[in-house]
Amino acid sequence: MKLLLVEDNERVTRFVVKGLQEAGHTVDNADNGREGMFLASSEPYDVIIMDRMLPGQVDGLSIIETLRQSGNRTPILILSALSDVDERIKGLKSGGDDYLTKPFAFGELLARLDALSRRSQGSGTQTVLEVGDLKVDLLSRKAVRGERGIALQPREFKLLEYLMRHAGQVVTRTMLLENVWDYHFDPQTNVVDVHISKLRQKIDADFERPLLRTVRNAGYMLTDE
Amino acid sequence: MSKVIRSTTFALSFGYIAFGIVALVLFAAPLWYAWQVTVEDGRSEILHADAQRLTEVFNREGVTGLKTFIDTRVGMQLPAERILMLADSSLQRIAGNLPQWPQTVPQAPGLYTVMLDLGGRQTESVVVRTALPDGYHLLVGRDVARFAPLTRHFWTGLGGAIAVLSIVGVLGGVLIRQAILARINSIRETVLAIVKGDLSHRLPTRRSGDELDTLAHTINGMLDQIEQLIHGIRDVSNSIAHDLRTPLAELRSRLEELSLTRPSNEETFAEIDAAVADVDRVIRIFNALLRLAEIDTGMRRSGFVQVSANELAAEAVEFYSPAAELKDVVLSFESTGPVYVSGDPTLLAQAVGNLIDNALKYVGEGGSVKVEVQSRNDGAVEIGVADNGPGIPDTEKPKVVQRFYRGDQSRGTPGVGLGLSLVQAVAKLHGGTLELTDNHPGLRVRMMFAPGAQVSGRPRTVTTEQQESDAVTAPVKSEPGVLPL
Repeated sequence: MKLLLVEDNERVTRFVVKGLQEAGHTVDNADNGREGMFLASSEPYDVIIMDRMLPGQVDGLSIIETLRQSGNRTPILILSALSDVDERIKGLKSGGDDYLTKPFAFGELLARLDALSRRSQGSGTQTVLEVGDLKVDLLSRKAVRGERGIALQPREFKLLEYLMRHAGQVVTRTMLLENVWDYHFDPQTNVVDVHISKLRQKIDADFERPLLRTVRNAGYMLTDE
Repeated sequence: MSKVIRSTTFALSFGYIAFGIVALVLFAAPLWYAWQVTVEDGRSEILHADAQRLTEVFNREGVTGLKTFIDTRVGMQLPAERILMLADSSLQRIAGNLPQWPQTVPQAPGLYTVMLDLGGRQTESVVVRTALPDGYHLLVGRDVARFAPLTRHFWTGLGGAIAVLSIVGVLGGVLIRQAILARINSIRETVLAIVKGDLSHRLPTRRSGDELDTLAHTINGMLDQIEQLIHGIRDVSNSIAHDLRTPLAELRSRLEELSLTRPSNEETFAEIDAAVADVDRVIRIFNALLRLAEIDTGMRRSGFVQVSANELAAEAVEFYSPAAELKDVVLSFESTGPVYVSGDPTLLAQAVGNLIDNALKYVGEGGSVKVEVQSRNDGAVEIGVADNGPGIPDTEKPKVVQRFYRGDQSRGTPGVGLGLSLVQAVAKLHGGTLELTDNHPGLRVRMMFAPGAQVSGRPRTVTTEQQESDAVTAPVKSEPGVLPL
């Protein structure tokens, strides 16, 4: 992926750029709003990572608004030290696609970038999702693995659907909380892990090839590879 | 003296007195005017009618007849009740109760107010002069001076009223001023004591419930809040110092040891991972504190929407039920039907989640946790979580909601000691309270929302199926939008 990082903190920039390059991405970076604005509107990027508070007259949110007004639809991930729910809503309203609070784990950033780039490819219209021999029909709300139907609770179905939409990508616990349960807080204990293991019991237990994998220090991945 | 004049009460009472006088005069003036007009009009009408009647007598019976008539009337009436005078063409008296034709009456017939000499006393009179046929003159009049005492009484009364008003007003003003000054001074003294740093002072209140009393109560409420906030900040600073120092100290020693001993790569990476976990713990505490601070400021009230409390609780139960199963704990949900509160869905969900999480943490294997949502008869809403775990002794109950407080029971369990503080802060933000009671055995924690927090009428997100979905682990709805955010 070709990514743009607009961030004024040198240390964060170095850490993110290095990590993203190691993950096989190309990264441009700008340390002020003006340059960021220029790069974002002149180069094609897969995802833009935008810090909210930038030096100079241009702040992150107004860059996003300007880009959206000029018809630029590149997915944007907002990085911010402001963790209030209200701030998050403000960020998403301005045209950002996701919001990550500093300090963050690198795995979280990477997973969210992957999810954003996939989203921009427009996979939302599919009605049947497939990973290996696991099939999910979004219209009849049925899941089948091989020949066998799998009975799922509504929330389990939603969890599986989210994992399948992001098949082959790491999905973090926070992403699951936000997207499957719409919970924007830390539930203290790792309840998400228990939900995953219950789901795993249903889709993987009796099959030779496990599809739902745990990625250490990051989250989970549904994959057939 | 200048201090007295400048004082509010003085200005107020002075103003009221002036106002009262103006009102009194405004009231008296039309009365006076109407009285004058009515009396004068009536008087001239009567005099004209009288003159007319006498003229008719003259026309019918001639001079002699009229003379007899006048003499009879003068003889019958009280002295000076009516002035009557008949004179010939040279103004010589023929009949009447005046010694001679008065010089003060003008020549032409008409109505005049003149000074007359009535039996040796000069008096103001109203007279009607009429010219009779054959050059005779007729004078009919009335002594106005008889009404003078009435006028005098009117003015005396008005003056007296003004005097009484002024005296009572000034006296009242002084008394009220003293009473109010006494109370204001006591308020001032209390506030000065508080300014000097002793926040425990409270304004004196009485049961009267008047404006000053209400103000005092309000200020006391504010002081309670400020005191609590300041204590909160003090406690939090202490607790932060303690609770953050521990993981930071661990982190520091870990890193320092790493730098000193330079162990094998594998060991180094393991240590680094552990260091990251330490930092995550610190970040977690910070996030919890930030969330608390965010709630405490009350800013989030702007984002309140109608929240279905029973749905929200059912979802939380569903969310935590796999964790309960894993621990072999029965997690159940009970609700009296659809219940709504005006609130922040994220915070309410987090609060309910915290309560369930706490209960699951402390209840033993095979125990049970029950989540209840009730709409009481008085309209108040209760969201409660009850467990049959070890419970909390009564002496500990007020402490567990304090920030960073961790009871003896919680030693060895994960958590930073902010869970219940957050629940309490959320309840408070929504105008509710947090209640910890015994569940015999176990603990029952309830968030109580006042009737005002609940709003009648059903919001759009509710369908009939959800009304019935009070089952243990089955909130039917899975579409997004149940928790608007």
